[in-house]
Amino acid sequence: MVERPERSRTEGGERAPTGREWEVFVRDAGDDPIRHAGSVRARGAETAHELASRLFAWYATDIWVCPAEEMSRFSTHGAEGASADVPREEPRTTEGF
Amino acid sequence: MISVSTLLCDHAAGGNRLRYDVDTGDTDPVSTAPQRRPVVVWNTTNGCNLRCAHCYAGSGGPERPSGDELTTEEGKRLLSELADYGVPVVLFSGGEPLVRDDLAELVAHAADEGLRPVLSTNGTLLTVERARELKRAGLAYAGVSVDGLPERNDEFRGVDGAFDAAIDGIESCLDVGLKTGLRYTVTGRNVDDLEGVIELLREVGVDRFCFYHLAYSGRGADLEGVDLTDDQRRRVVRTLCDRTVEAHRSGDDIETLLVGNYADAGFLVEYARERFGEVAARRVYDRLERNGGDPAGERVAAVDSRGNVHPTQFWRTYSLGNVRDRSFGDIWEDESNPLLAALRNRSERLRGRCAECRYQEVCRGGSRLRALSAGNGLFGPDPQCYLDAEERRGAPPTTADAD
Repeated sequence: MVERPERSRTEGGERAPTGREWEVFVRDAGDDPIRHAGSVRARGAETAHELASRLFAWYATDIWVCPAEEMSRFSTHGAEGASADVPREEPRTTEGF
Repeated sequence: MISVSTLLCDHAAGGNRLRYDVDTGDTDPVSTAPQRRPVVVWNTTNGCNLRCAHCYAGSGGPERPSGDELTTEEGKRLLSELADYGVPVVLFSGGEPLVRDDLAELVAHAADEGLRPVLSTNGTLLTVERARELKRAGLAYAGVSVDGLPERNDEFRGVDGAFDAAIDGIESCLDVGLKTGLRYTVTGRNVDDLEGVIELLREVGVDRFCFYHLAYSGRGADLEGVDLTDDQRRRVVRTLCDRTVEAHRSGDDIETLLVGNYADAGFLVEYARERFGEVAARRVYDRLERNGGDPAGERVAAVDSRGNVHPTQFWRTYSLGNVRDRSFGDIWEDESNPLLAALRNRSERLRGRCAECRYQEVCRGGSRLRALSAGNGLFGPDPQCYLDAEERRGAPPTTADAD
């Protein structure tokens, strides 16, 4: 049985001091996984996509945006007791089953 | 940041062997060691008692509850992370950082962790008591923004009496022995006041003058129309160079710094060639080349009031990650982010007038944010570049040639 690292839920809510924050996900090529690539600040999804396109048009075939406040984040970062002795990558859970 | 006084006058101030790109109050003209970690601007709050027309953070308007800003404890954890990562300097900024009651506590924590804490403020809340409290906490420098003579400054800042309050704030700092300098963002609206403000602050006792080019960010993005023309910008930079050289020749060792437009690097080489000759120009180029040009995503970083990490303090519309989710170091080291990797390897991607420019290595295309704002694309030219075709043409000077 593999011991799972302790995670806590990180601060939710709106993340932009002004405007609205949108998480950005990009895919380089059709057979690549989509990956998180930061966030943009924009009023709505179309504007967020437009802004992300200006930043990643040279790179990405696909761009997804998601309101930052809609994400539920669970992390070992900041969790009580989180330290260097907590593995950075979670062991494959299949090993425990 | 480009130190005119260092490059043209061999002026040395402070002892921190660091090159930097925000006004940290320190200058080292001779360092050859690369800056390994970024200077971090922490915009501690978006709250502000003024409403400046050019505010890159868009502060001072209708506020969301400040309860979502990083708390004192979160702030201390961030500062400890920055220290662990090897960040040399943290610049407390805003909004107006003095609206936070815990500012001195945070400054003290930064100093205890071995960071060099410095402050960017509008100065209007800097009483002698608060200046003393911050100095005791370990604050090393305060840069105070003034953007014109009284009438123009107050109009710009949206509050009557802001000029007088800022001057009082500067005097409070000087009274308690806190190193203090001017920050002045030059636009078409306030360019005529520039020399008057310098004269006035020299009389007050200020000897450090930091001039910012307009960033097209926050409310500054709406001011493109009042930005300096190329000719105005060239005249302003030349005037500042002339004033600095003349001051030093008469024994007045003022510091003059330019921030936010690395076309200034090319201009300074041209200025040195014209005024002091080819060998001086090559020396200036060599120093600028070591400095490395526009610092976005490399030598300067910003964390906003809610923990978002930005490639510079001006680039508010894009964030690399949030320190509530990951440590600052993890975010900054993650070059799987294609934008961060591209910023750090931008030379091969620059196009337009930047692609063949002889000053590419000392400028690196200038502001990517302004290039985007102007519709020139991520790797297109910075619209504030004022170098002409003749100045941009040819090979860069080299040290080998100089020797």
